[in-house]
Amino acid sequence: MFFVTRFRLLGMVLAVGMAGVSAAASLAQDKETVLKSRQETMKEQGKDVGAVKAYLEGKGDLAQAKTGAANLTQTTKKIPELFPPGTGGPNPTGDYVAKPEIWTDWNKFLDAQKTAASKADALLVAVNSGDKAAIEAAFNDLGKNGCGACHTTFREKIEKK
Amino acid sequence: MLLVLSLSAAADPVSRGAYLVNAAGCEGCHTDLQHNGQPYAGGRALVTPFGTFYSPNITPDRETGIGRWSDEQFLRALRDGIRPDGANYFPVFPYPSFTKITDEDARAIKAYLFSLPAVRHANRAHDISFPVSWRFLQNGWKLLFFSPGPFRPAPERSEAYNRGAYLVTALAHCGECHTPRNWFGATEPDRFLAGNPHGPDGKAVPNITPDPQSGIGDWSEEDIATLLKIGQTPEFDFVGGAMGEVVKDTSRLDDADRRAIALYLKSLPPIRSQKKGR
Repeated sequence: MFFVTRFRLLGMVLAVGMAGVSAAASLAQDKETVLKSRQETMKEQGKDVGAVKAYLEGKGDLAQAKTGAANLTQTTKKIPELFPPGTGGPNPTGDYVAKPEIWTDWNKFLDAQKTAASKADALLVAVNSGDKAAIEAAFNDLGKNGCGACHTTFREKIEKK
Repeated sequence: MLLVLSLSAAADPVSRGAYLVNAAGCEGCHTDLQHNGQPYAGGRALVTPFGTFYSPNITPDRETGIGRWSDEQFLRALRDGIRPDGANYFPVFPYPSFTKITDEDARAIKAYLFSLPAVRHANRAHDISFPVSWRFLQNGWKLLFFSPGPFRPAPERSEAYNRGAYLVTALAHCGECHTPRNWFGATEPDRFLAGNPHGPDGKAVPNITPDPQSGIGDWSEEDIATLLKIGQTPEFDFVGGAMGEVVKDTSRLDDADRRAIALYLKSLPPIRSQKKGR
């Protein structure tokens, strides 16, 4: 009985240790995956913004603007899960750094994200109404006070020597 | 507020001043937002290769602000970089750009600043070392690098061009960040707006001359005006960092002023810089 317990304990220690090693490995891999999906989401948002802009400029159709705006309401809500702790610093395949303030001021970051998400919701309402003046106002508001506000506080350019 | 700001040609100096102070971006540097400082009460740290400067209080508080300043003293500070006690400002204060501001605009700026609530907030000493810290050496700097004098419109150019030139070179002082600086921290006139690898907080600032490769030659005037209005680039990104702060101000300009800036920038000589700056 005594030995069994001892072995069990040893086994548990080993198991915990190995889990730790593999957790660290998967964290590193996770970070890469997280950065990639973050970058992809932002680029996708750029395309969706472009679809609405194209409609405003008379270069694209309303159906695509609607799809773009609908996507934005979804992707702006996904932002917090794209920034798990430990995923700051420069993105090796990008031009920007996610600033440490995201995690040191997490609640402020969430506020900024919620602002963006609610402005995306408002844009979708405007796009669905088809009223160009309303769409333009909502578009400008989302861009400046949603996307831009967050990029001003929480994003910076990678220093390239 | 928006209504007041849009009246750029309003007769009342305070509302004119409000528009001009926004165009000049005074609040950004003179407010320590990071530590919840009051607007215009100063204290924001400005990190430069020469040390860290702390912006002064420009509210009309009589003890810690500029409440005792006469019009003449204010104009001398703004346009000649000289404090009421006769000492020089460091060129971290963009007086080499503000020197071009007209008398009338300078007085309106003062009128607006003096209409603000006085905030008691003592100025903090700059964190700079010898020889930069010797203020009188600034006299030599000025002799070498400072050309005082008001903006002179180019008579052969359009009104919009001249308005854009005045906004870019005087009020909005774009060149203070977008033009590279020499060893003495003076902007290089022949590289005007060609990008600055060592801008504020050590960040690179892009080339905004119309060079197609390293500047914004592929941007239309409309693209530039859109960036100034909502921060959106032609690639559908939204600018952040220091330019994000600037867009807060430029978004409140009149459409005509944003278009004038765009027209002026597009008519500048393209200057090639080493890398694509944006």
